Amino acid sequence: MIDSISPKQCLKSLMRANFTVLIRTRRSLLISILFPIFLLVTWDNKGTLKAFGGGMFVLAIVMTIGIMSLSLFGYALAVARDRERGVLQRLRVTPAPTWTIMVSRILVQELSNLSIATVVLIIGSILYHEHFNLLEYTLVLLASLLGGAVFLSASQAVVALIKSADTVNAVVRFVYIAFMLFGLLGLSGVLGNTVKAIARWSPFGTVIRVTEGIPHIGTWTSSSSLALLTCVGYIIVFSYIGIKWFNWESR
Amino acid sequence: MSKSEESNKLVLVIKDLRVTYDNKVAVDSVSLDIRRGEIFGLLGPNGAGKTSTLSAVEGLVKPQAGSLMLDGIDMQKNPLQSKANIGVQLQSTSFQAELTLKEIVRLYAGLYNVSLSDSDMKDALHSIGLEDEIDKRFKQTSGGQQQRLSLYIANIHNPLLLLLDEPTAGLDPQSRRQLWDRIEHQRGRGGSILLTTHSMEEAQAVCDRVAIIDHGKIITTGTPAELIRKHKDDPNVRKAARGKVTLEDVFIGLTGSEIRD
Repeated sequence: MIDSISPKQCLKSLMRANFTVLIRTRRSLLISILFPIFLLVTWDNKGTLKAFGGGMFVLAIVMTIGIMSLSLFGYALAVARDRERGVLQRLRVTPAPTWTIMVSRILVQELSNLSIATVVLIIGSILYHEHFNLLEYTLVLLASLLGGAVFLSASQAVVALIKSADTVNAVVRFVYIAFMLFGLLGLSGVLGNTVKAIARWSPFGTVIRVTEGIPHIGTWTSSSSLALLTCVGYIIVFSYIGIKWFNWESR
Repeated sequence: MSKSEESNKLVLVIKDLRVTYDNKVAVDSVSLDIRRGEIFGLLGPNGAGKTSTLSAVEGLVKPQAGSLMLDGIDMQKNPLQSKANIGVQLQSTSFQAELTLKEIVRLYAGLYNVSLSDSDMKDALHSIGLEDEIDKRFKQTSGGQQQRLSLYIANIHNPLLLLLDEPTAGLDPQSRRQLWDRIEHQRGRGGSILLTTHSMEEAQAVCDRVAIIDHGKIITTGTPAELIRKHKDDPNVRKAARGKVTLEDVFIGLTGSEIRD
């Protein structure tokens, strides 16, 4: 009789496999990186920077868009497809604790979020003449991990509430466009102050505000603290839904 | 322990198992045991409770009642240790489509803590006729190749008990024969096998004992020859027979001839 296998060993094997899958589906990874770079370059003008309130704010928007697209499309679609194909059930009959199956995917996804954030931060800081020291770089990257957690937990909630992979595909596209358009138009103020206030407290808006505020930790405001707490609230609520109603089978 | 004591040792003991889905009873008071080195077939029409019974042993569904013991270990209290000692081939073969066969083997070897060198892996894939496919992605392989890989992975850690859910469904006669040989090979190594099947030919060819299950209950258990002997005079079995009574006649006689979905 063999003893249980260590969760660390299972996590390592699963992460290696998930990372390989991520590399193999590099087209979506590439699009998730290229689109934010495209935005950075095209928004490099005084009008856009002024409309959004400065270079750091635009940088935070672009970083959030990149992280959001990777989290929604990368995680939710992969989980929904693998569930439909029975890949998750096949893993569940192994000695890997079930939490390692999901955590390995989340960690790999957060690593790719971090890589997007790094690219955006470097290119953005050059284009927009934003200068960061090592601590500020680290804080912004930590904020990107927090943003990743918000959108990954939202993705988990989507795959928990919807079983069909095709429907998940349609819903994440809708959520992505809705978050982005509502967030961008709302935050720019063209839809009025009420919509602006709602957009500021939406998942998209709060992640942007935390990312924008965090490098200037010396001038951190109570509004930024509230945005941070709201992000944590979103993570808790989405994760609760995502765990409670998640079904390992698509039937 | 003598050889006969060893072969009489029970590897799996299921007692009064009950599985329900939304108040619908799928498995009702099922009890059966499997001895070391035994191939046990669970036969039943669609929806009879075969897969649900297997799912409970695999830890995929939580039984409402009953006990499951694997080599003396309570499977419900020690699910991870139990899973480390069983091998599973699910009804539909399912690995990450983007991974190569080598990467899939590496993943599952890791999950069962089996160390495999590159040459071990080549030898293993050679033994199942997949040495030329080692760097092919799973989605690029044929159904038969996927089935062979799936059986190899189920066996990768030499489990005490191998669970096969309709392993020959959709296979051509050559692949089916090859699979039977592999099942026999597993038994030769002292492993036990619990399989579900719709094929009476398969049950008669490879199973030491079989149980017929219907509406979630075990109707009868025994060797294929015993079941024929025991039920050959049953009027329903006689009605189903077209000459000498076969296991299929017993099956049809006991479970009815209407088509199940």
